[in-house]
Amino acid sequence: MTISCEKLAGDIWIISSSGRLDHSLNPQLEQSLNDLLNEKQNRLIVDLSHSNYINSGGLRCLVTAWRQAREQGGDLRICGLNNRMEEIFSLIGFDRVFSIHRTHEDARQAMVNESTI
Amino acid sequence: MGFLSLFLFMAKEKILTVPGRYDQIQVICQFVADGARQAGLADDDVFHVELCCDEATTNIIEHAYGKEDVGPIQVTYEISHDSFTVTLHDDGRPFVPDDVPEPQYTKIDFEDKGEALDDVLNSLQIGGLGIFFMRKLMDEVFYSFNGVQGNKLVLVKKLQPKE
Repeated sequence: MTISCEKLAGDIWIISSSGRLDHSLNPQLEQSLNDLLNEKQNRLIVDLSHSNYINSGGLRCLVTAWRQAREQGGDLRICGLNNRMEEIFSLIGFDRVFSIHRTHEDARQAMVNESTI
Repeated sequence: MGFLSLFLFMAKEKILTVPGRYDQIQVICQFVADGARQAGLADDDVFHVELCCDEATTNIIEHAYGKEDVGPIQVTYEISHDSFTVTLHDDGRPFVPDDVPEPQYTKIDFEDKGEALDDVLNSLQIGGLGIFFMRKLMDEVFYSFNGVQGNKLVLVKKLQPKE
């Protein structure tokens, strides 16, 4: 169960979770997102392709970081949702809050395209 | 042997009692997930049961007890011919799910995300989202409180009829 961060070209960061986003892992996710945002690194892609569980605490981390990133003029995009995670995001309307992509490459490309418009 | 068979047939109710701490939530989730699989629920339904018990337990620690290590949480599951029922007991303050309004943001057009997001964050912080999950993902939800038994939350998933 880990959270890893990788920097790509254009100051885009991919934050990847591996394992259940529950009480054991959510604090690490929150810390990683806060550390980046405190450094004004606000072009974030959260890759959930290796997580098949998220509770309200994990959702709270994501939406809080999304808002902070937007306030800084950046963005937070989500990728890699499996069917179960998609169901949860859709149930609470988060599919309309976040830009959701199939892969982190799709998310990266969308973020690059947006910044060149 | 007849007695053993009878015992096994009747052993469809299991009870787990753990201290009210965050590190016990995974234990509770594993316990109910094992029971849900034994009941024959599909994987997606097992996930729903797990998530709802996770949220219910979090609400017990954060709202009924107010913090960790204040009191125990007793979890019981029961498998009947047509349903899988989880009951959670705690000795904390009354926490009435019906008093928590349903999150309104699911009905909001997210074109203007500013105000909607405040609703989202508020709902996530007061346990409203956990209750929302229970109402949406479980087939039946019951709550009761009395001075002797404390809070009792009952979550029911209906079993698909066997062919």
